[in-house]
Amino acid sequence: MTAKVAIIGAGPSGCYTAQALLKMDPDLEVDVIDAQPTPFGLVRYGVAADHQGTKGVARQFARIFIRQKARFFGNIRIGEQVTLGELQDAYDAVVIAAGLSGDRRLGIPGDDLPGIIGSGSLTRALYEHPDAAALPELGQDPVIIGTGNVAIDVLRLLAKTPEELRGSDLGDGPTAWLAAHKFRKITVVGRSSAGAARFSPVLLKELADLSAIDVSVMHPGSANDEEGKRRLEALAELVAATSGPVQVDFHFDSCPIAIEDVSTGLKLDVETPEGRQSLLASSIITAIGFTSDGSLDRDTMLDSAQDRMRPENRTYTIGWFRNGPVGAIPKCREDAQALAQRVMSELQPDPDRIGRNLFETVPDIVGFDHWQRVDALELSTAPDDRCRRKIFHKAELLRPSNLQDA
Amino acid sequence: MNIAILFGTETGNAEMLAEDISSALEDEHQTRFANLQDTGPSELRDAELNIIVCSSYGDGELPASAKPFADRLREEQTDLDGVRFAMFGLGDGEYATTFGHGSMKLAEMLIGRGAEIVGERLVHDASGDDLPEDIAIPWAEAILASGNAAAASTAE
Ligand SMILES: Cc1cc2nc3c(=O)[nH]c(=O)nc-3n(C[C@H](O)[C@H](O)[C@H](O)COP(=O)(O)OP(=O)(O)OC[C@H]3O[C@@H](n4cnc5c(N)ncnc54)[C@H](O)[C@@H]3O)c2cc1C
Ligand SMILES: Cc1cc2nc3c(=O)[nH]c(=O)nc-3n(C[C@H](O)[C@H](O)[C@H](O)COP(=O)(O)O)c2cc1C
Repeated sequence: MTAKVAIIGAGPSGCYTAQALLKMDPDLEVDVIDAQPTPFGLVRYGVAADHQGTKGVARQFARIFIRQKARFFGNIRIGEQVTLGELQDAYDAVVIAAGLSGDRRLGIPGDDLPGIIGSGSLTRALYEHPDAAALPELGQDPVIIGTGNVAIDVLRLLAKTPEELRGSDLGDGPTAWLAAHKFRKITVVGRSSAGAARFSPVLLKELADLSAIDVSVMHPGSANDEEGKRRLEALAELVAATSGPVQVDFHFDSCPIAIEDVSTGLKLDVETPEGRQSLLASSIITAIGFTSDGSLDRDTMLDSAQDRMRPENRTYTIGWFRNGPVGAIPKCREDAQALAQRVMSELQPDPDRIGRNLFETVPDIVGFDHWQRVDALELSTAPDDRCRRKIFHKAELLRPSNLQDA
Repeated sequence: MNIAILFGTETGNAEMLAEDISSALEDEHQTRFANLQDTGPSELRDAELNIIVCSSYGDGELPASAKPFADRLREEQTDLDGVRFAMFGLGDGEYATTFGHGSMKLAEMLIGRGAEIVGERLVHDASGDDLPEDIAIPWAEAILASGNAAAASTAE
């Protein structure tokens, strides 16, 4: 008897889970459902536009749908068109791999003032996510709070010259938006010392090639461990290697305390080893992690998932949805392989469960073949200096006007 | 020929390529396919030729699934005299100074234990326009067609 598994979310966690399940049993019915018409989650909408090599995993994911016969059900949001309960009734197992898309707030006075933008919403707008808000005005002196990889990604994108964005898939709108900003200074603020910051030294090294920036570092502190020493080294090399027109200041050991509206923009107070300091900002981008956007009741779901409490729900969670916003793509793969083992060992197929028939009455569902046509169209209409032209609006993604030409 | 196709990977691209090489060769050869993570250094002796696909991570380091293999190679000091391997790397030209260093380091380690490299180590560039299988399959076929790789089987 064929067992039926539904996976919510076609990001890395969902795709690797489908891949691993179908490797163990090629006859399983594995259906991957995503709220967006396009698959691959943050590989398309989070991994930086100028890191196309990292997006190469999408070729692997495509094979899951083409060769391993997983089915993609795009443009269905679980919790809206279909409820989790309905999905649980229809499938022998449900895997929640819905990620975490809400920006974590600073939790300090003034953290909701206009001019403060979460890195999730900023990157979604930059990378043309269908649900993204308009690109915000950052002014000439933005401050980025956070020293993880996302903060460094944002810094790099903001600091790249048009020439340095060649070969990326940054869209026309975001490209024009970037070019219109004449940044004077970009400040990066982190609570920890440089050695204890979360960014990878490799990502930092990459900044040394940027022509527009001139990096300085405030109170980096010291490091005792290998990784920490490598971060300090990478920073020192960065300072030595850069001498462009845009000042980039890293402030480590600077804990944000409050944000205030002032006539020139925003004032960010930070506590440093030298006492309290105020940094002036034309805008503030927070890159301090992600949380639930509230569209799925994550807490309840985590509780009701099999792995936590209730085996009768046949429901599992994985990836950022389960672990919080930690772990990159390799970790998603590792966890997915372990989860797939577990799901396989616990699966009890029931022929009365209706599986994908559940979606018969849901309007505007798109399958993987639709994505293949959109993908081909995006690749074939790319401008000379871009590898792809992303289709941005949901209506257009669902019904591309010139699809026949692709 | 009895060929083992081994992969060292972190996000699965090398595994996919190893699968493709395996399918391309399996009609004419006896192929085996395994993750380096599940392979002991002395198992390299079991095949007439080991085709290894290995990516690069961090600052030109080995990918996660090749690390346990490399550790064992170091600790066990396995003698690989007589072992033949061909090495295909996966890399990204964006990491200019460490491009393909994962596969390079692994090849050096094997050679250091006495193994012989057959053919030239090639590295696919994830930022380039070519698909890895379009380069790797002709590369593997050329190695097998050259007397070099066959030498091992006729010498038995
Ligand atoms: C800006 C940014 C840059 C990054 N860069 C890198 C990088 O360069 N390299 C790297 O290794 N990692 C990177 N990461 C981390 C990596 O993206 C994550 O590890 C990975 O995407 C987590 O995978 P996931 O499948 O759990 O979540 P996601 O990728 O977020 O996928 C979740 C999917 O679920 C869908 N979904 C959500 N809710 C619902 C619902 N109710 N119904 C149906 N579908 C739903 C979403 O549309 C989405 O497609 C980056 C992360 C960010 C935020
Ligand atoms: C964080 C990171 C670091 C990388 N470092 C290197 C590197 O130093 N040299 C290189 O050639 N490629 C590097 N790459 C590129 C990968 O080797 C390439 O994407 C490859 O296709 C990954 O294959 P895998 O999925 O089998 O691990 C790096 C990729 C990432 C994400």
